[in-house]
Amino acid sequence: MAELTRSAVPGEARRSAVRRRRSLATILAAQPAPAVHASGGRDQWSAPLDEAPADKEAALRDALGEVQDPELPISLLDLGLVYGVGFDGGTARVDLTFTATACPCMDFIKQDVRDRIGLEPWVDAVEINEVWDPPWTTARMTDEGRRKLGRFGVSA
Amino acid sequence: MGEERAGRDSRVMTPAPLARHILSLADTKRLLGIRYSDWLLGSPSIETGIAASSMSQDEWGHARLLYAMLKRLGFDPFEVEHERPAARYYSAPALDRPFADWAHFVAAVVVVDGALSVALESFADGKFALARSRVPKMLAEEEYHRRFGAAWFSRLAAAGGEGAARLRDSAGAMLPTTLAWLLPADTVHDTLVADGHVWPEDRVRDRCRRRVGDTLATAGIDLDAVEPARAGWDPERRRGPGAPGEEAVERARGDLNRDLFVE
Repeated sequence: MAELTRSAVPGEARRSAVRRRRSLATILAAQPAPAVHASGGRDQWSAPLDEAPADKEAALRDALGEVQDPELPISLLDLGLVYGVGFDGGTARVDLTFTATACPCMDFIKQDVRDRIGLEPWVDAVEINEVWDPPWTTARMTDEGRRKLGRFGVSA
Repeated sequence: MGEERAGRDSRVMTPAPLARHILSLADTKRLLGIRYSDWLLGSPSIETGIAASSMSQDEWGHARLLYAMLKRLGFDPFEVEHERPAARYYSAPALDRPFADWAHFVAAVVVVDGALSVALESFADGKFALARSRVPKMLAEEEYHRRFGAAWFSRLAAAGGEGAARLRDSAGAMLPTTLAWLLPADTVHDTLVADGHVWPEDRVRDRCRRRVGDTLATAGIDLDAVEPARAGWDPERRRGPGAPGEEAVERARGDLNRDLFVE
């Protein structure tokens, strides 16, 4: 409320905005610059498995269940973006689609998938197969995904 | 891949029919995206500006997927996207210059984007596997463009006055060259039809009529009365004479930020 009162005076409002901006700049300057891209949810990733699992495809799905969409706080699995997984000779394959053909987060998502699966010591390489058939729609989301989005005020 | 690529250097070679068709679609998408993006600011409202931005994003996403198809035919997508001069663009002539006003924009959504979508429907129904698997997603996104264009076109036409006149003039000016682009009467098209990659002309015409005929009629335009403008047809680039403006092509190629590419 005090801010609103000050904003009634244009000059003071501008000075206040400048102060806030400087304050934010100071805060940002104090943060270490990330060495690599890091989207949300990485702090919730599990530690890699100690041994190679018997069901590697299930393990890959578990890992993908921890990779969030950079814009929405739900996993790629709950969004229905993972069309398939496979494992052959140390190479993990992920068939991945995107919500839109010009999704601005494609590279982030691919990097997150590579990094999360790459954590597993039994995976030598990660191959991402970009697929568009069938086209993604909200109908491919899981019920759990809908519930999670609903908690953030987004209906799908 | 050799049969679709006539030489090692895509800047000087003559691509085979399927590659030329993909270039025609991709370049038109790329240019349409640029023309849409010009109206993020300056359109009638914030909502229309956001719509223009979203449609621009879609067009560039579609162009990216189409250019990537060329990789399967032996082309270097980076070279095709970022190193060709304007004179080697295959885009529809209606996009050579910026849209003059909002009525021009709306006319292009119906006429050019509509023609592109019909061309894509035809391609998705053909035997090229990448088109069958990738184009349906593009068409799903295009459905929003169709609804937006039809609604605005009908609204401007119904309002009458200067807006309706500009709409009619813009649509009327771009229809002949766009129809020629959509219905090319050349041996490349004959080969594509014979090879099962696209529909024959009568089916394309019929689909075009069903997609945009009623919308155009709201402005008093009879699609069946429009003759394709085929004078000066360039079978190499699959379009009429001319080329997109150099400024737009510099943006399409990303000249200013070439050193910053991260692909």
